[in-house]
Amino acid sequence: MAAIAFDGLTKAYGDLLAVDGVSFEVDEGEIFGYLGANGAGKSTTIRVLMGFLSPTAGDARLLGHDVTDEAALVEAKRHVGYLPDELRFDESATGREILDLHAELKGDERSGELLELFDPPVDRKIRSYSHGNVKKLGLVTAFMHDPDLVVLDEPTGGLDPLVKQRFADFVRAERDQGLTVFFSSHILSEVRRLCDRVGIVRGGQLVTVDPIDVLLDRSGKVVRIVAREPLDHKTLAGLDGVHGLEASPEGRDGHGFREYTFTFTGDIDALLDVLAGRRLVDLAIEEAPLGDVFLRFYGENVDHDDTGGQR
Amino acid sequence: MTAIARYDGRRRLRGSLYLSVAVSALAALDIWVYPSFRDAFAGEDLLDAYPDQLLQLFDVQTMTTIEGFLATELYVFGWIILLGLYVAYLAAGRVAGDIEHERMDILLSLPVSRARTVTEVFAALAVPIVVVNLLPPAVVFVGSALIGESIAVADLLAVHLLSVPYLFACASIGLVVSVASDRADIAQRIALGVVFGLYLIESLVVGTDYQVVGVVAPSRHYDPAAILVDGTYDLVGAVALTGMTGLLLAASIVWFRRRDL
Repeated sequence: MAAIAFDGLTKAYGDLLAVDGVSFEVDEGEIFGYLGANGAGKSTTIRVLMGFLSPTAGDARLLGHDVTDEAALVEAKRHVGYLPDELRFDESATGREILDLHAELKGDERSGELLELFDPPVDRKIRSYSHGNVKKLGLVTAFMHDPDLVVLDEPTGGLDPLVKQRFADFVRAERDQGLTVFFSSHILSEVRRLCDRVGIVRGGQLVTVDPIDVLLDRSGKVVRIVAREPLDHKTLAGLDGVHGLEASPEGRDGHGFREYTFTFTGDIDALLDVLAGRRLVDLAIEEAPLGDVFLRFYGENVDHDDTGGQR
Repeated sequence: MTAIARYDGRRRLRGSLYLSVAVSALAALDIWVYPSFRDAFAGEDLLDAYPDQLLQLFDVQTMTTIEGFLATELYVFGWIILLGLYVAYLAAGRVAGDIEHERMDILLSLPVSRARTVTEVFAALAVPIVVVNLLPPAVVFVGSALIGESIAVADLLAVHLLSVPYLFACASIGLVVSVASDRADIAQRIALGVVFGLYLIESLVVGTDYQVVGVVAPSRHYDPAAILVDGTYDLVGAVALTGMTGLLLAASIVWFRRRDL
């Protein structure tokens, strides 16, 4: 059984299709990243999944339960942790009071351990919490009942790098214990670091679902060559799988260019054959940054924010 | 099954105690000024000088007995109007406020149905409604004795006890508005308008051909003057208020279950 299944899910607001015929599944025990620019439909998908919005068409299933069947949905939620993007708690309550309410409603298997890990100031009122502290408390409430599935909408916004790292380590360890994680993000490095598979959504439509390494493979390598003598431009440009070939002006001498960068999706051996016999100063073949992958699906109008900014 | 109600109720306890003290102070003030009023109103001359509509609006029966005076000055003004508006305001802000400030997502991410959520947040309004009625009867009883007046204890308790279904009915009006709204301040304004509007209509149609219209107003079914001055308890009215509350709660649940958040 898939932990999450969407089948032709559509959510319309009048003429606007916030989510448009999205179909995919999240398998048990994987970390699935739902990636898209701000306003692409990530949060709407998640809010339908959690039963906050009713779908206009199509189905969504949470741990096998139809989300439009409330009794089934409530049953599913016993085993689901949730962290919304715009996380807010009752300002006049203390963190402890919030945790007590959650414990009573869904159980508490491990809040002690989680409080040690994320350390929100539970004895203070939420009113005095920083954005990061609210998020930390949210992480504790999302995991305290030892759920089978967690649904996290932009989970690390507002967390400092140390806690982000702690969160990533924690989530991976939990995944190894069988936890399923479905999280949305517009932060590429986070997705790169955490996910097993990625779905990319754009304008409410699912563009692709791929294992992260396939996605990176498909997007190719970034190759940078610095040679002692000018290289033959035509040979490089004619090689299968060379895209966006650029010569560096600094590498120019009387006869041509010595420095080239390009994206390469072809056979590495073929590339090395071309370079055989050349005297090189430097050769770098690196994974394309996920931002470039993202660009291919989004064109130029992409939110490059990789720093944890808000939507 | 009452975790949300208990949580909400605890959060409302402190404010309810302050409220109880505040209305007790109002009661004490009323009792303190009563002797001079009693003398001024002697012979009802002053009362005759008021327009009938105003007397009708505040259900003024008599100002020359402590019961009649308190029925108007404390219970019609304090309970029917002020507290009625206040609990409607509280209820109106509850669900709409959680939706507006995005707290509802967290609450509903828990394994609770929407029906249960609405029912429990409504039930928690029992805290202000009951707590506000705890201190004032004692203040009224003791205060009256101190100025040499006496009030029937049974009537005094009845006027407070029967205010409970009245206040719940007002709160249920606020609840209906709340579940249908995305913004707390708008829900609160509408609820205040509806509750006060119903009160005005009911007061003004009494004794006219349109009297029957007032039956939808909670204030039709709770009459402090009848209880305190005549010693008659409108139990049918209490049942009607309870029915009204149940109906509006059910409507709130139906609406809240269907809506997008």
